[in-house]
Amino acid sequence: MAAAALLELRRVSVAGRGGVPRLEGVNLVIEPGERVALLGPSGAGKSTLLTVANGLLPPSSGEVLWQGEAPARSRRLRRRQQARIGTLWQDLRLIDELSVQQNLNAGRLAAWSWPRALLNLLLPLDTPANAAVLARVDLAPELLDQPVAALSGGQRQRVAIARLLRQDPTLLLADEPLASLDPRLAASLLALLLAEVTPPRALLLSLHRPDLLAGFDRVIGLRSGRLVFDAVAGDLQGAAGVARLKELYRGDTSALEETIGTDPAQTPPGR
Amino acid sequence: MSRSFGRQTPAADGPGKPFGGNTGPASGLRPAAPLLVLLPSLVLLPLLVVLPFQVHGGGLDLIGQFALAALTPSLDPLVLRSALTGLATTVGMALLGWAASLVLGVLLGLASSRTLWRNALGPIWPAELIRRLLAIPRAIHELLWGLLLLQLVGLEPVVAVVAIAIPFGALVARVVADLLDGLDTGRLDALRLAGAPAPAALLTALGPPLLPGLLSYGGYRLECALRSATLLGVFGLGGLGTDLKLTLQSLEFHELWSGLWLLFAVMLALETGLGQLRRRWLMPPRLGLGRAGVGLRGREIVLALAALVPLTFGVGWALGVDPRALLAWQSLQGLGGRGWLDGARLMALPWPALIAGTVALTLLAAALAVGLPPLQLLVSAPWPPARRLVRLSWALARLWPPPLTALLLLLVLQPGLITAALALGLHNAGILGRLLAEALADGSGAKEQALVSAGVGPRLALLYGRYPAIARPYLAYGAYRADVLLRETVVVGLVGATGLGSQLLESLSSFAWDQLLALVAVYALLTLLGEELSDRLRRRLLQRA
Repeated sequence: MAAAALLELRRVSVAGRGGVPRLEGVNLVIEPGERVALLGPSGAGKSTLLTVANGLLPPSSGEVLWQGEAPARSRRLRRRQQARIGTLWQDLRLIDELSVQQNLNAGRLAAWSWPRALLNLLLPLDTPANAAVLARVDLAPELLDQPVAALSGGQRQRVAIARLLRQDPTLLLADEPLASLDPRLAASLLALLLAEVTPPRALLLSLHRPDLLAGFDRVIGLRSGRLVFDAVAGDLQGAAGVARLKELYRGDTSALEETIGTDPAQTPPGR
Repeated sequence: MSRSFGRQTPAADGPGKPFGGNTGPASGLRPAAPLLVLLPSLVLLPLLVVLPFQVHGGGLDLIGQFALAALTPSLDPLVLRSALTGLATTVGMALLGWAASLVLGVLLGLASSRTLWRNALGPIWPAELIRRLLAIPRAIHELLWGLLLLQLVGLEPVVAVVAIAIPFGALVARVVADLLDGLDTGRLDALRLAGAPAPAALLTALGPPLLPGLLSYGGYRLECALRSATLLGVFGLGGLGTDLKLTLQSLEFHELWSGLWLLFAVMLALETGLGQLRRRWLMPPRLGLGRAGVGLRGREIVLALAALVPLTFGVGWALGVDPRALLAWQSLQGLGGRGWLDGARLMALPWPALIAGTVALTLLAAALAVGLPPLQLLVSAPWPPARRLVRLSWALARLWPPPLTALLLLLVLQPGLITAALALGLHNAGILGRLLAEALADGSGAKEQALVSAGVGPRLALLYGRYPAIARPYLAYGAYRADVLLRETVVVGLVGATGLGSQLLESLSSFAWDQLLALVAVYALLTLLGEELSDRLRRRLLQRA
């Protein structure tokens, strides 16, 4: 049990339209405590890989193992497996019509009974626990009563992370959570997330731009549905690293030029 | 993209604020959106407690036979031919009544549009006056129009057509006027300032934006017309409805289901066909070629409308619909003699009880109609076959005229308010259920998916992921439906002891014309009041976040 990896993909392939596979023969192991960045140009299959990893999309071939277990066939066991996996979506998927408190409690729904879930729509439940997770994402407890629709963009991002913390999963998945954020906000949110990843938790986070790799242990490169490299973060520094990134983003220069520049001395990991 | 819900501005927390913005438990009871959708279904609790006392053992086996007969409808050629003839008559009547209501409605709608009067003639008071007057034909259900006309001109094919055309025409008129007056008049003003004459400017500026709304609503009215034509048949105005009632009363369930399944096929074909037309004509194609497509669809629409004209006349000729029959009034039995107007007889009616009964029936039926569909979806969420079964039950419920449901229920239940409310509520639950399913299909499933991926069960994922977004529009439509229900209570009047509706039918069959007039007037007043109330409720539901 202790030895089992949090997530293991074995030769995972996902068929796509027109015979072009969305994923092809991907092997990946994520151990407790690891912070893994998933890099790749748009269309590389990052989102597909994450939906396979969180169990929404069964692969066409290959195996997905969570803590050494294959997806359970019984509905109840399967839900228990899913509850240990938390996903931070790019569009956040907060429930705009509900209050912050109710949204945070939505993170506990998998564990909650029916009456409790209904009661949450009527009364403020678990206020101390919710105030605690809000504090971890630097939000004031006064926000608990606010409807989510009334929050600013940055506050919404933080509430989404807080909901994830309420769920308390062991495997954290994040699908480009930092896209379309200004650099300062992106950096502070990433710091928040990374700080929460201590064993037995692990994080797999997909990024379009390779300029925020500080703080990650491993970086995985995905291109056209295939794993191009699986490297220790330090290996991507220096000229050799930049060359690998350039190879990964070949043909998709926009992301690269903005962030890496042409001078290897300015690579972000040294920041 | 999910930010579009954020329209409702930060002021949205207004209602909750007085209880203190603090995190204390003092925030009070505040049912959130998804819970609001489920609240009306609480009516089931008292209903389930009372219901056992309403049951008389009698016809339980008959209900069983009826249900089983659904699987073995009669395939006797004679039965089928009779059912098909009846169906053709019903569809024909629906088509004619609908076409007439469209013509009537567009004309009257133009006549009651403030924008039109202001631009064409100047004063707008005639528009207001026509608008007020149109409330009266609208307030009276097509069944009442049908029964009144039946007394007046006898059993003529034209009766059903006119009975549908009058209230439907007034409804279409209101929608047309509202659409017209709701349009932005900027373009119109620009054309007028540029010197365009009023008619040309009105047609150019207001015609194109009016068309999509009108087409969509008009298509929906055709479905309603088919339901109404069936219903009128149940009360003896001809067509399949008459067959259905006769076979039900003589307990020939297999023959009953032959007609019912045929009607089902036609209704389903109509619903899907109209749905596809709606999509084809109204929704901008995602990868379309811009203007070429618009022109093509415009031509299609005009062609389709033009084809309707000869079709309508052909159907009218085939059914023997003769408008002249409307002019040949019969002498009303008992009306000629002295003392047809009897004040004492009028006052003898238990007015407060009648009105209270009508209101209670409306509220009970509305709560059932609004509350059942979301609950059914929620309960059946984990099992796809059950979900399909629920949808099938909705389709049958909205097809099956409420008075026939009432007759069926009378086999096992006592006559009275609850039986009537069940019949009316189940029928309307079928209509609201379809609406709910469509709203869910149009919405995004992303949030539901997110919850499922975190291990939340299918029911709670539906409740938390889907219901919040549709809650207010759905309830707002429910408020509108309650207003329709008030009008419809007369339809289940034959179950007895259910307020104005049953008294109306009774007065009608005993030729008490004075009572009838008074009852219709009170009914119309009540309906107008209900319309106002439901309008306010709807606006409040849509505005508040």
